[in-house]
Amino acid sequence: MNPQSDEFSFIINLPVRNEWRNVDLLRTSVQNCFTAVFADLDGCHAVSMVTGELLENALKYGDWRAADPATVFRLRVVGGKGKVDVSVQNPIANELGGAGKLLQTLEWIASYPSAEAAYRARMLQIAQSEDPMEPSQLGLVRIAYEGNCALRASVDGAILTITATLEL
Amino acid sequence: MDKLSAADLTIDVGPTEAGQPLRVTWLGKSADRSPATILAPWFEKLLAEAKAGATVVEMHFERLEHFNSSTITALIRLIQNARNAGVRLVMVYDQNLKWQRLSFDALRVFEKGDDLFQLKAAQP
Repeated sequence: MNPQSDEFSFIINLPVRNEWRNVDLLRTSVQNCFTAVFADLDGCHAVSMVTGELLENALKYGDWRAADPATVFRLRVVGGKGKVDVSVQNPIANELGGAGKLLQTLEWIASYPSAEAAYRARMLQIAQSEDPMEPSQLGLVRIAYEGNCALRASVDGAILTITATLEL
Repeated sequence: MDKLSAADLTIDVGPTEAGQPLRVTWLGKSADRSPATILAPWFEKLLAEAKAGATVVEMHFERLEHFNSSTITALIRLIQNARNAGVRLVMVYDQNLKWQRLSFDALRVFEKGDDLFQLKAAQP
């Protein structure tokens, strides 16, 4: 199917239980869905990588103390007219840093002339880090570089939504 | 050196022959929440064995289906540790797979022209 066509549209929209194994279940599900539609296997892998990294980010940095996280942990993959938006929504808490670190990371990526330059800079920072267990914060910049994505974030009360847009 | 098996990931180690590289092959997927917990101690043993035998480590990723960014972080630390230990490390990836090409080409920032770290693009 031609992704530039007006008839090309799809929506995946589902609540997710906050369990780590669901990251790979959903990543591979998205990859399989796209493989069923497109011949471009590289593009399918890019969408699934972006999905996996966003879900991992949400599980690592979200606030999962709430009774029913499934009501606020949600994956949306929306495609149409040559692009795909992958969005992940998760709860945040001010005492855990809220969305501050994530928004700083997006600003930091945007401060580079290209996502590739930001990705290489982050890799060099990781190599220079003294603490081998320090969180790498590589996921978002990987999305921007390898997925060739535009990233944006919005906060509504205690809910963070981050969206990556891929051109197909 | 024993192979590593954890969840969907297997890292095989080929038989060691005198004068030949230690061939290490990644299979499956590396998507653990904290892969360094599993990989770092295994890498440490690998580097110790390679150093003791004055052997090159040749790490193959062509058959790997997927890795997450935390695994890339673990690989960056492996590159640094290999360099500090004076162990030659070669990473081989599939040039035909865009995701591998992008991931590994970016690691060229760690090539210093001293042969301690080298990337090779394979076309299986």
